[in-house]
Amino acid sequence: MTAVISPIALLNATNGKLEEAELWDAITEKQLGDWEAEWIPELFKAIQKLHRAGVERVHWPQSRHWNWRQKTRALQGMLAHPGFSIVCNGTTQGMMIVDITTHRCRVESQKGKDLVYVEYVENAPWNRPELADPPLYRGIGSILIRAAIALSIEEEFKGRIGLHALPQSNGFYANTCGMTDLGIDASYHGLRYFEMTPEQAESFIAKGN
Amino acid sequence: MAAKKTMTLNLTDAEMHALEGLCDKKDLSKTAVLRQALRLYQLVEARVEKGDKLFFEDEKSKEKAEVMML
Repeated sequence: MTAVISPIALLNATNGKLEEAELWDAITEKQLGDWEAEWIPELFKAIQKLHRAGVERVHWPQSRHWNWRQKTRALQGMLAHPGFSIVCNGTTQGMMIVDITTHRCRVESQKGKDLVYVEYVENAPWNRPELADPPLYRGIGSILIRAAIALSIEEEFKGRIGLHALPQSNGFYANTCGMTDLGIDASYHGLRYFEMTPEQAESFIAKGN
Repeated sequence: MAAKKTMTLNLTDAEMHALEGLCDKKDLSKTAVLRQALRLYQLVEARVEKGDKLFFEDEKSKEKAEVMML
């Protein structure tokens, strides 16, 4: 599988400097290897720390059960489910899988129109403020959301995107991304559903997040 | 962005009419509608091949109707 790789920059939060990074329009064996060999051990260590500190399970990372190899295998070759990843310093820093075919807008002004639905998006454990103090790289989530918007524009969906957020990420999608909060979706694990209209997408891009 | 190839498509009047109707409804170009159709077709085929069934459910009555894929 060939991936289109675009140059991007990531802010190293430990020294305040920008570092050269890559946005891949795919999740390949390289990313899955990084997930298994780098992310999982780091995630276990972080959870162990939380556990030993007496932090309740409800506050542990809610994506800890995600198996990227399984998810990727299930969607391999499916045009409806492209994947994205960010690589910096030789290691995968974030991954995302979207669905560009089976979801439709729920926001009244866009109802029924096609959108890019973000199925899974995750940061490497060392980039997550709730697990690493300080996190290594910042802005991974925003870059992946920008990639989803860019894909939405390329597919003529005008920047419309939607997603169900894990509770720990509600604030990011509502405040940083400026998406419309459509409330708890009882039909989807009781998660909040957020949507971005073309106007919100334009303003998110203009903010340079 | 991945490189794209161009092809010519031959459609009957009825097919072109249906395609244009979808373009108007979805506010998409013919290319965008056909690319969506291809993705959906591929997805459905893959699921049916795995042994899954395709259903439509009435949102109010919750009544389900199976779409026969022959």
